[in-house]
This record gives sequence, C-alpha cells and structure tokens, in this order.
Amino acid sequence: MPPSRTKTIKNKHAANGSGISGSKATRAGPMDGIVKNKRAIAAILKKRRKKTYSEKELDIPKLNMITPVGVEKPKGKKKGKVFVDDRESMNTILAMVQADKEGEIESKMIKARQMEEIREARRVEAEKKEGERKAALDETKESLRKKRKRGGKPTADEDLDVKDTLLTGSNAVKAKKKRVSFA
Amino acid sequence: MRPLTEEETQTVFAKLASICGNSLKNLIAPIDNSPTADRYVFRVQKDRKTPYFPNWLPVDTPGARTLSRGVYYVLLSMANLATTVSRDNLLSLGTCLGKMTKTGKFKLHITALPILAEHSRYKIWIKPSGEMPFLYGGNIVKAHVGRWTEDTPEHTGIVVFSMDDRPLGFGVTARSTAEARRLAPTGMVVFRQADAGEYLRDEDSLFSSG
Repeated sequence: MPPSRTKTIKNKHAANGSGISGSKATRAGPMDGIVKNKRAIAAILKKRRKKTYSEKELDIPKLNMITPVGVEKPKGKKKGKVFVDDRESMNTILAMVQADKEGEIESKMIKARQMEEIREARRVEAEKKEGERKAALDETKESLRKKRKRGGKPTADEDLDVKDTLLTGSNAVKAKKKRVSFA
Repeated sequence: MRPLTEEETQTVFAKLASICGNSLKNLIAPIDNSPTADRYVFRVQKDRKTPYFPNWLPVDTPGARTLSRGVYYVLLSMANLATTVSRDNLLSLGTCLGKMTKTGKFKLHITALPILAEHSRYKIWIKPSGEMPFLYGGNIVKAHVGRWTEDTPEHTGIVVFSMDDRPLGFGVTARSTAEARRLAPTGMVVFRQADAGEYLRDEDSLFSSG
C-alpha cells in the first residue's frame, strides 16, 4: 500500500536517529567543531518528525477513483442516520414544508390570475378589432348600394349588357367560337 | 424497520402536502387528549428479494421482492409491538403510503388513498361514464368531469372521486379550472398517478414491493 511505504521512507531518518552518514545532522557536528549536546539533536529530530504527515492527514484526493457525490461523507461528521420520531420535530418539519407549499400554490394562483387577465384583455381587443372591420365592410357595402340606386333605371341596351354579363360571368366580349374543318 | 430520517420526513411531507391541505397536521396528532395518548408515526421497512430469486433477473419481475424502502403509516404502539418480529419476516404493517426510491424521492402508492381522500385540498368528481376509463389507467378528459373544486391551479395534486363520493384515485391537474372551461370535451384535465384499478392490475407486485 502506498501510504505505509511513504510512511516508512519518511520515518527512516527519525527511526535511525543519527545512523545515516549522509544526513545533515551527522555531517554538521564534527565540521563545526561544536559539541552539541543530546538535547539539541533531539530538538532537531523532533523538528523533522513534525514534518512527516500521513497521507490521510494531507487530504490529497485519491487518484483513479470515482466517488459518487452522495457517497462521500463530509469530514468530521458523525456516522449514521439521525431519526426524527418525536412529535415536536415532526411538527416543525411539517410546518416548514406546508409553508413552502402554501407559498408555491399562492404564487401559482396569482400567476394564473394574471395570465387570465392578460388573456381577457387580448380577447376584448380582438373583438373590438373584429367589430371595427365589420363596420368598415358594412359601410362600403352600403355606399355601393346607394351609388347604384342613385344611377337610375338602366336603359334597354344596358339591361341586355347586364344580362349578358350575368350569364357569362365577365364583362369581356364573347370570343368567336373556334372551328376546325377537315378538308 | 426504522423511523424516518430528517430528509426523508421532509420529502414525505412535501409529497403529502402537494395533495393534502392544512389538515395534514392532524395526521400526526395524538388520537386523544390523554398524556399517554397513542399517535401515528412513519416507519421505513426495506424489502428484500426472495431468497430463491436469482440476481440476474430484473427486480420488477412479478413475484420478486425489490430492495425498495416502503414507508408505512402506523400507530406507535403497533410499531413498537412489531419490533418483536424480525426484519426478514416482517412484510407489512399499518398503511403503506408509498416508497422511497434509491435517488431519495418519494412515490405515493394507491394504498395511501384513504388517507389522501380524507385530507385532500382539491377534489374532482367524475361522471359514471368516466369511471371505467379512469380505473383502467386512463387520464381524465373534460367530458367526464362531473364537478371539481373551484380555483384549482394547474400541475397540483388532486384526488379523484366518483359522483357518489367514493375515492377512486389521485393525479395531477393538467389545466387550471379557468383554463379547463375553454377546453374541448376531449381535452385532458387530470393526469392519472394512481387508481383503484391497480389493486387488480398490479396485484402481484403491489404488496410485495411495498
């Protein structure tokens, strides 16, 4: 396991004390010529020992692992479920939930009412426009009727013409019928 | 079997509150005024598969007992008595309200209907001609509506009754009352969630899956 290996390596100096010849602590002593008492060495060792951390303490994210959101437990929290079984806490939760729901329904109703108002206004506007259009059409019809009445009785020739128009459906002069003859 | 946790209580109440009105608090009130009065509580019972049920079969196969967690509404005294029965041997007790899904949501079952009908906020009564289509699992169309609570908003829980006041099921409104007035007779007004027909249709799985 990686954590235990790291731990061993890091603690090697500490465990051996001054057993390593290459370490600074052993080299520094004789070169300076100052005789260090045991206390000082112990202090240095203590200092070093402080620097070693286990992997757990470092809080490094573990690699090559997928931790689902719900599974990861927050640090420092007590294990297990907290049950709610007494009346008071249940009532509190119920009151909170009901207040929430009440607000939700209220806002829904207000929204629905507003939408209804808008729809009503639109309907009234559409009706008004429709009425105006109808009035304009009626007016045009009336004016056309009046114009015709003012024109007086049509002459016999005109009458024939009108009859002809009614029959053919158009004012255009009747085209001569095409004839095909063989030989 | 265990009591509900805080989050679970919250989700269960939220679901119940979407259908029930203010009288919901009577659900957990003590049944009389004496100091040692009994009261109703919620309990979770995890169902497990039957021992001979192979793992590779889907859990919704008829006859299989799933790993879902059923939520029961039960008298405290009875819940305490039920602790004498081991978890494996306990199938059901009290009224099953629904089940908690693995994602932490709560689903109401048809078995909760008596409680919901008693405390419902919005109600809809359907004509005899609409009873059969509803009990076979259909949604409710406008033509089948006898009457319903005024001022019902859309997308809210509603309990369905027959014209002689028998609860038939529950669902969610598709339109508000005002909107439904303008709707064609074939337009949907309520989406079905559960109906009493499930007692027959899902007879195999209704009680076994809790």
